[in-house]
Amino acid sequence: MKNNLEYRAVIRLCLLYICFLVPPPYFAHFPHGHCFNDYSILAPQQQLTLKGTVSDTYGPMPGVHVLIKGSDMGTFTNGKGEYSITVTNKDILVFSYLGYHSHEIHVLGRTTLDVEMLSEVTELQEVEVNAGYYTVKEKERTGSISRVTAKEIELQPIVSPLEALQGRMVGVEVVQRSGITGLASQIQIRGQNSLRNSRSDNGNLPLYIVDGVPIDSKPLRSSGALTDVPGIDPLSSLNLSNIQSIEVLKDADATAIYGSRGANGVVLITTKKGYGNNGKLRFETKFYSGISTVSNRMSLLNMEQYISMRKQAFLNDGVEPTPRNAPDLLWDQQRYTDWQDEFFGGTSEVTDTHLAISSGNETTSFLLGGSYHKEGTVFPGDFGYNKVTANFSLNHRSLNQKFQINFSTNYGIDNNRLFNSVNLINYALSLPPNGPPIYNEDGQLNWDDWIWGNPFSELYKPQEIKNNSLLSNMGVSYEFIKGLVLKANLGYSDLDNKEVIKAPKLAYNPLIWDRINSSSTHSLVQRRSWIIEPQIQYERRFGKLDLKTLVGGTFQNSQNDLLLSVGTGYSDEYLIGNLAAADDVRINVNENIEYKYNAIFGRLGLDWDKKYYLNLTGRRDGSSRFGPNKRFSDFGAIGAAWIFSEEAFVKKHFPILSFGKLRGSYGTTGSDGIPDYGYLDTYQPTPGPRGLYPTQLTNPDYSWETNRKLEAALQLGFIKDRINIGLGWYRNLSSNQLVGYPLPATTGFTSVQANLPATVRNTGWEIEISTINLNAKDFSWQTFINFTFPNTELVAFKNLEQTSYRNTYRVGHPLNIALLYHYDGIDPETGLYKVKDINNDDKFNYDDRTKIKNIGRDYYGGLSNNIRYQGLSLRFLLEYVKQNNFTYFTTLTAPGTYGNKSQDILNAWTGSEDDSDIQKLSQLTTANRAYSNAIKSDLAIGDASFLRLKTLSLSYELPSNLLHRYNIQKCSLFVHAQNLFTITKYEGMDPQGGQVLPPLRTVTCGIQLNL
Amino acid sequence: MNNKFFKSYLFKVLLVTTCGFVSSCEDFVEVEVPNHKIVSQTVFNNDNTANSALIGIYNELFRSYWSGGGRNSISVLSALSADNLRTTILDNDLIEYEQNEISAQNTSNLNLWSSAYNIIYMCNAALDGLQISEGVSPEIKAKFIGEARFVRAFVYLYLVNLYGEVPLVQTSDYRINALAPRNNIDEIYSLIINDLERAIEVLGGNYDNGERLRPNKFAAMALMARVYLYLEDWEKAEAFSSQVITSSENYALLNDLDAVFLANSKEAIWQVSPVGSGSALTHTKEGNLFILLENPKYNTPVSLSDHFVASFSVDDSRVNSWIQTFSSENETFYYPFKYKVKYASSGDIEEYSMVLRLAEQYLIRCEARSRQGKLPGAINDLDRIRERANLSLLSNVSPEIDQKALLDSIMIERRRELFTEWGHRWLDLKRSGKVSDILSSTKPSWQETDILYPIPEEEIGKNPNLTQNIGY
Repeated sequence: MKNNLEYRAVIRLCLLYICFLVPPPYFAHFPHGHCFNDYSILAPQQQLTLKGTVSDTYGPMPGVHVLIKGSDMGTFTNGKGEYSITVTNKDILVFSYLGYHSHEIHVLGRTTLDVEMLSEVTELQEVEVNAGYYTVKEKERTGSISRVTAKEIELQPIVSPLEALQGRMVGVEVVQRSGITGLASQIQIRGQNSLRNSRSDNGNLPLYIVDGVPIDSKPLRSSGALTDVPGIDPLSSLNLSNIQSIEVLKDADATAIYGSRGANGVVLITTKKGYGNNGKLRFETKFYSGISTVSNRMSLLNMEQYISMRKQAFLNDGVEPTPRNAPDLLWDQQRYTDWQDEFFGGTSEVTDTHLAISSGNETTSFLLGGSYHKEGTVFPGDFGYNKVTANFSLNHRSLNQKFQINFSTNYGIDNNRLFNSVNLINYALSLPPNGPPIYNEDGQLNWDDWIWGNPFSELYKPQEIKNNSLLSNMGVSYEFIKGLVLKANLGYSDLDNKEVIKAPKLAYNPLIWDRINSSSTHSLVQRRSWIIEPQIQYERRFGKLDLKTLVGGTFQNSQNDLLLSVGTGYSDEYLIGNLAAADDVRINVNENIEYKYNAIFGRLGLDWDKKYYLNLTGRRDGSSRFGPNKRFSDFGAIGAAWIFSEEAFVKKHFPILSFGKLRGSYGTTGSDGIPDYGYLDTYQPTPGPRGLYPTQLTNPDYSWETNRKLEAALQLGFIKDRINIGLGWYRNLSSNQLVGYPLPATTGFTSVQANLPATVRNTGWEIEISTINLNAKDFSWQTFINFTFPNTELVAFKNLEQTSYRNTYRVGHPLNIALLYHYDGIDPETGLYKVKDINNDDKFNYDDRTKIKNIGRDYYGGLSNNIRYQGLSLRFLLEYVKQNNFTYFTTLTAPGTYGNKSQDILNAWTGSEDDSDIQKLSQLTTANRAYSNAIKSDLAIGDASFLRLKTLSLSYELPSNLLHRYNIQKCSLFVHAQNLFTITKYEGMDPQGGQVLPPLRTVTCGIQLNL
Repeated sequence: MNNKFFKSYLFKVLLVTTCGFVSSCEDFVEVEVPNHKIVSQTVFNNDNTANSALIGIYNELFRSYWSGGGRNSISVLSALSADNLRTTILDNDLIEYEQNEISAQNTSNLNLWSSAYNIIYMCNAALDGLQISEGVSPEIKAKFIGEARFVRAFVYLYLVNLYGEVPLVQTSDYRINALAPRNNIDEIYSLIINDLERAIEVLGGNYDNGERLRPNKFAAMALMARVYLYLEDWEKAEAFSSQVITSSENYALLNDLDAVFLANSKEAIWQVSPVGSGSALTHTKEGNLFILLENPKYNTPVSLSDHFVASFSVDDSRVNSWIQTFSSENETFYYPFKYKVKYASSGDIEEYSMVLRLAEQYLIRCEARSRQGKLPGAINDLDRIRERANLSLLSNVSPEIDQKALLDSIMIERRRELFTEWGHRWLDLKRSGKVSDILSSTKPSWQETDILYPIPEEEIGKNPNLTQNIGY
């Protein structure tokens, strides 16, 4: 009992510094001053004068508000940062300053108390977690929230913010589908909930909120073949250097306050705010530059191997090669081209600069920043990506602390220049290595020798994607009686996306120029939305009970416009793309979609003695996507936490346990991620002119998909929180699935949108471990490990057999499965692959594809280490994924046929060896048919697990005593590598994406300078 | 700006906004119908949009699988299941048609069936909308109802001939249609006749703007003539075809065979325009699919069967005008060349896809007349077709031809005249009663039950009241 108070203080301290992953240098910020160890010897009512100085890293801070908690008594620091105040021993002092974390410190008999303030931008922010409408101390949260901060994001040479989450969070699966910059990553939070998972109708997208403004998470459409899957990232025009943190809300407790839109989790992105002491101006600059190359290549046959494979195939078949069946054998047999080199062997340069200026005083602060990012591509030709951003943030707080206004705006323009290629990767992997030259001697495309068209012609179909995004947010609040705050958040977002794809005649064989016209395809997307969220917050303390309530409303209106047009018949190459110069302009799609959303939400947070926490959240939602009778629905959740390490008996019997928390939550969320206007019985314009036609059957009564989430978690800290372990379990049940209910075609259509009693269950275990291995003044080492074991199962789906999902899903299995033939080895007589005809009907169709393989993730995780020696620090992140996927097998053609093959086919069946798993070299159609069945069998599924060194950065921070001489706050030099290596058994291009351009390997170096 | 101002002004703003949301939210989430959609009731509330709904049907007939003339259209599939076309590439769905071994899972078959019912839905929706409409002027309404009924009858005529008994869907309510059982053939024909009678009643004799894209009275009569021909009601078949043939201000047989399939040719009774594709491409799908400029591939999977080409006599001018050859290194392909344009983009549309044309009416009347024993008239009609094809006239070479021989010549002439148009050969073979004799000689796997296509398996799975045809 004696040391109770100190014990608690130590625990808090530990929690602050260690449990929440704060690096050691920030230890220095604890207030100094004399302090009695034992509270009881002090006379509680004794009045005394407390003096001290308040400073930050830049020196003394004038104008810091010093308030006795729970009273109106307070003062401000003077020009030298000094203050003096009359207090009693029992008082708690609150030090606050705009843009800085507030400090609460017990007086405890001190007479001097120097305080060092920490700006909100520094890492201690990690203590407070953004839960959307409110913030919560990491220690006290009842829900499941993961977070990455600027520190992890800023050094990575990436364009899309979500890529920074890869490997860092439990329960969050981020897959980069292609190495092409600016494309959307696929993010899935705790598994796939909705059966609707197509590009046009995806019910699995999480909610994105940037500074309180919801951003449509649906990737922007693109008509380009390199970019249409997965589409353009709606967040790509954000400035990564300006992101303060990204939080991901996962369980019911955290997401229920987002009601209908929280079913698939919520991604909260918070941008940086300005701060400053006494009007001092701060400069923050960063510059890096580097190169990227493709991180993987396939080992394919070289020219000699290819020719001999082809010859052997004809020999095996007893067929004479002719110009028709073997054009490649008539080509030059000496010429050798590595097509992977030709198509994506280039080196792309990356350059990035960032500059921010901020300043502030006790009432007002601002931040003004801008960035420029440029990178090339690995493709031949003049292609590339660049991005310019500007951001501004302004915060003001009245001197009496009651009124507060925050304003921020982010503006970004990006421009992605690519080309419209359907076959790029396929060409690189399958063109015969002895293929004819691409260009004639006169520099024109060589059409004569290429029978199926010149593969480089696609590079002459340029595609340009421009994004233009504005994101603006204002929050005002006023505390008009103690504890009661009236607030309003106002947000506006505007995203314009413009795409032009040009198809000049030049890209086609001159032989058909009389039949075709130059054309251009245009797409214009505009997404505008505004949001108003008035809120009332009330906080009060009743003895040991702390009460926090919040009631608010949301009004949101989004306008989503799409215009697709095609211009054909340009007289001149230079005019292509200018619709005024086209002979014929067709508008293919012109949609103006309006989405309105309205909600009332509330939260009641209770804590008893900082030990027992209860959090109730609820929301009533209305969405224009549902018919008049089904517009509104209610969602809610309960979350609770018990910090048992605060209990006396735990302290007594388990002194090794420095922190222990048990928490759980249960609740419902919904999903309105469905197409707009689906309930209306409408006609639309036909593709042909002047016509109208019904495009779907309508069911005005369809309703919300619901998602019931249950979670339990245990968090433990040992040895003064040097070791922290978090263990979580979740279960999400998604039912009332809104899917196309299958109908016979006699109804005119094949389905109607309806809620089906299909249920998807996602369960999983999540483990997080963080350790401080070493912690000395000059040397520290921290390790973070996370692992997720997800499990998705389609629990029930009535009449699945009759739906369009019948060849996609199976009851009792995960959602991400492959339905396959049973591979039956190589027929010893023909030397060709065999698959089993399960129902013996001599036909091979889905009835025989009864082998089910999970191609989703079995488990995944990340390991990161931060090692610091004096000014030198090394950080790296390894991402590990255990999974199966289709192998390279599926994209190549039968061994022996035209087109390059993997080196594996050197071991093709010859009849002599016992068990080859490559069929005989043959170019006959029977061989192709056998092969095409085999690639739909379990033979085509392979281990696609991988271990990838996602990031590696080495930085050196120049000693501060040297820098101060030149008035420099911080200067560090860094080298950063992204995707440096991948260890995998997978033989295709990328274990995550299959035969796509794999993520690029990027190495950059740069300098960060703060003045 | 002082704090007081902030306090008072913003306080009020906050108060107002906070109170705002407490008031009803129901209205807020109302959205108006966007301008790319029109609510059904509105569509049939005025002449203009109702007209657009009809134009929509004609536009979609070009895009629809069964009627577009592409690889899953009746013109291609039924010509394969008869003996006019052959496949030139490995395409299982098409080969099943060629060999009359269509499986119930055949995708082309499902596409054909589904797209036909999709057009029926559009007709039914238009009829439902027009019948309750009060905003469309009465004469326009009657005309539109006539057109929609005509198209519906046209679709059912094909469904009943290809599949036998089919569900007779007459409403747009999916709850009813989803469980619709198969109706017997008489019921289907009586709907067809009833629809066409109504259409003949209300449709005028002209074409709007001279475009032969919307059926008029004569189109309905022409189709009626075919219906009675199939029903072997020779008198009526003769009567209706005569009415079309005698409408000489509208129709004439063109002597120039190369001009027959041009847009709005005088021989056309009803055509479908490629404008319906909505793309910049303005060629017909038949032209694009049949014409071979290089070795056959996915887009050009069929060519004329050799024995069909051999059935022409050498001086038949249709061989020159309507058939072309493409020779690869080791094979010669004959392809239909009724449509001359393989690729067209922008500019005036040269060719429309022909649905009904005058030559067929002559052949109908000739058959109906000869069945009734009116041989001279029949010979006269047949000679109109032979004359144009540069063949010797029957009235000269065999004026004494007997009924049976005449009917045989008519069959042969129908095959040569109407090949790869709308499945004529297949339907003629079926009704001739000789289909087994004729096809079993070239198709080893022929069975009697192959005269009907299978009901798609998927459909049977979804509708418990549907049954399969015998033999599948």
